[in-house]
Amino acid sequence: MSKPTPSLTRRRFLEGATLGAAALPFRARSASAQAKPTITYWNGLTGADGKIMDELIDQFSRETGVRMEQQRIVWADLYAKLQVAVPADEGPDLALIHTVEIPHFASDGIFEPVADATASAKGFKGEDYLPSTWQGGMYQGKRYAIPLDVPQHLLYVNVKVMKEAGLAGPDGKPRIPGTRDEVLAMAKQITKGDTFGFAIGTTNPGRYTWGFHNLLWQNGANVYAADLKKSGLAEPAAIEVAEFWSSIQNQHKIAPPANANCRDAFIAGKLGLWIAGSWNFTGLRDAKVEFVAAPVPRMFKQAVVWTMPHQFTFPKKKAVDGAKRDGAWAHIRWMSDHVAEWTLKAGQVSALRKPHSDSRITGDPVLRTLLGQAGQWQSGQATPKWVAAENITRPVIENVYIGQKPAAAAMGELARQINALPD
Amino acid sequence: MKPRRGRRQGAFTPYLFLAPGLVLFAAFRVYPLLEGLWLSFTNARLGRAQQTFVGAANYARLLDDTRFHVSLLNTAYYTLASTVPILAVPLGLAVALNRGVALRTFLRGAFFFPFTLSVVTVGLTWLWLLDPVIGPSTYYLRAAGIPVRSWLADPSTAMWAIILTTVWWVTGYYLVIYLAGLQDIPRELYEAAAIDGAGGWRSFRSITMPLLRPVFLFVLVTHVIGSFQIFGQVFVLTNGGPGDATRTVVQHLYETAFQNFFHFGAASAMAWVLFLVILAFSLLQFRLLRGHTQY
Repeated sequence: MSKPTPSLTRRRFLEGATLGAAALPFRARSASAQAKPTITYWNGLTGADGKIMDELIDQFSRETGVRMEQQRIVWADLYAKLQVAVPADEGPDLALIHTVEIPHFASDGIFEPVADATASAKGFKGEDYLPSTWQGGMYQGKRYAIPLDVPQHLLYVNVKVMKEAGLAGPDGKPRIPGTRDEVLAMAKQITKGDTFGFAIGTTNPGRYTWGFHNLLWQNGANVYAADLKKSGLAEPAAIEVAEFWSSIQNQHKIAPPANANCRDAFIAGKLGLWIAGSWNFTGLRDAKVEFVAAPVPRMFKQAVVWTMPHQFTFPKKKAVDGAKRDGAWAHIRWMSDHVAEWTLKAGQVSALRKPHSDSRITGDPVLRTLLGQAGQWQSGQATPKWVAAENITRPVIENVYIGQKPAAAAMGELARQINALPD
Repeated sequence: MKPRRGRRQGAFTPYLFLAPGLVLFAAFRVYPLLEGLWLSFTNARLGRAQQTFVGAANYARLLDDTRFHVSLLNTAYYTLASTVPILAVPLGLAVALNRGVALRTFLRGAFFFPFTLSVVTVGLTWLWLLDPVIGPSTYYLRAAGIPVRSWLADPSTAMWAIILTTVWWVTGYYLVIYLAGLQDIPRELYEAAAIDGAGGWRSFRSITMPLLRPVFLFVLVTHVIGSFQIFGQVFVLTNGGPGDATRTVVQHLYETAFQNFFHFGAASAMAWVLFLVILAFSLLQFRLLRGHTQY
């Protein structure tokens, strides 16, 4: 009986290993030609819109082969994390941020500037966007971001509450207030027991700076004077807004307490007129609340609507990986091309003009209302101190709201605090 | 010679065993502490490429920072106001449970359960319970004809709402510590006192209280240290509001470091001031209670 030949002899093994090693570079080259990068992407879409983003990212990855590793972090924490991670070269390849964050991150060197030629070569041109959103991506003459969408305020009118207050027509449609007097009159008619007529803000209406800013802008005032050096909050127009802020709670008694959850109150049928962010409306639909979306009423001199556009930006890297950067650009391009789906599902109106004429969007009453406000959009001022000023505004306007501090004194003190903010 | 070398080697042995712990302690405790001390004398800010020595400027600035003063006062107020309920409520419950009431095991678990929850869960639960429009407390108070107020939006009640939340949260933890202390007291002392005609109150005052003094000291010191560092409950329930009525030092420090310009230098100075305050209070407590404590 002959000795059986082993299937893998030492000679065969060595031959195979040598051939395999020789073939490796060719394999690696052909793999790298086909391999798609994995992009790290940070954003603060922690609400219902995050799930929509997941779906769109899955679709993007299926269609392009570019994988995205998403980190969804509460906005405030996201910004702190960016500030820490990017200098340590641990930042993401792509981030979604709010427009007002651009000046301070740009001046700290956290974001990579984008040359106009590069943006243009990738197909992003100013004329395709609404001007305020495109401008919002700039700081001191340089572009740092590409706009995605325009979260904004609108007026939610609770149909059930309006009907109970006798503020609906024979057809069941609620009356829509367009001015401050109309808001006050209707809100007084609604307010009874634990049902309130009017509120601005989702939670903690007393310290809702975005609502306060909206009113400031409607009255021609702003946090900083035009030169962006001194605060404009001690000016009469700002004090007038602060007096109104106080009056809805203390004089007219039409607004819920400073720490109320206005969203839950609206869903529970305990709030009639509610100025809040557009990001709430898909949730209200899910909660089966009967509501009408209306433009933000003109409470002061001019009709202005607060907005806070989302922007794509490239956090700075010590060495840019070309494939990843291309992948990030591909994602921005893809999202821009599919932004109508984002609008329809997440309720955020596109910064691009083209989808605004999409019949699916114009056919939706809420989205139509949001688009109708485009001419009145305004955003925060382009100063690195904007966010810090916003943070110290909260407790001050809350003190005004609960009647702890007179409006004029509070605004004077706030202006002093803002002027003393360090560089 | 040999025995002497052996003794010398033996003297190092404990340090060899301690070394792993000491290295970790030095790396993760001592070094950050000293780094924080250094930062407090610089203009360090995240995003700033270079930091320069600014002397005591960050500390001098705290003298003018009115919001820091308010935060310090609020923190001291919280610490003082919460100490009595934190000492008394778990003690009362522990004494009751120690007497062998029915369902003792169940009740001990039930009281301890809130402490297993994270501070965010506790805060959100109480935020909902105390909601001025849709909260159950509002509903039942209104149903009972009691005037409803917004506990967390009223500067006179907001801090008390936070104290109530904290007491509910930590009572179970201190209750277990008190129970352990109570079970260490020999039963015969109570029996002898009873034979001598001592009633319940007299036994409590003359036996329980003195013999629980080490437990009191532990509860007091840990509670005061924790109270000066209070952050989570405030952050979730009021975010320092209404206005600055519940703003605490750590909240102010957090905002300075992570929200307003990332001023690590200024925030480190606040942290060191807080450290000195806590150190002073802890030394004071040890000094007041040490001499009378029976271990």
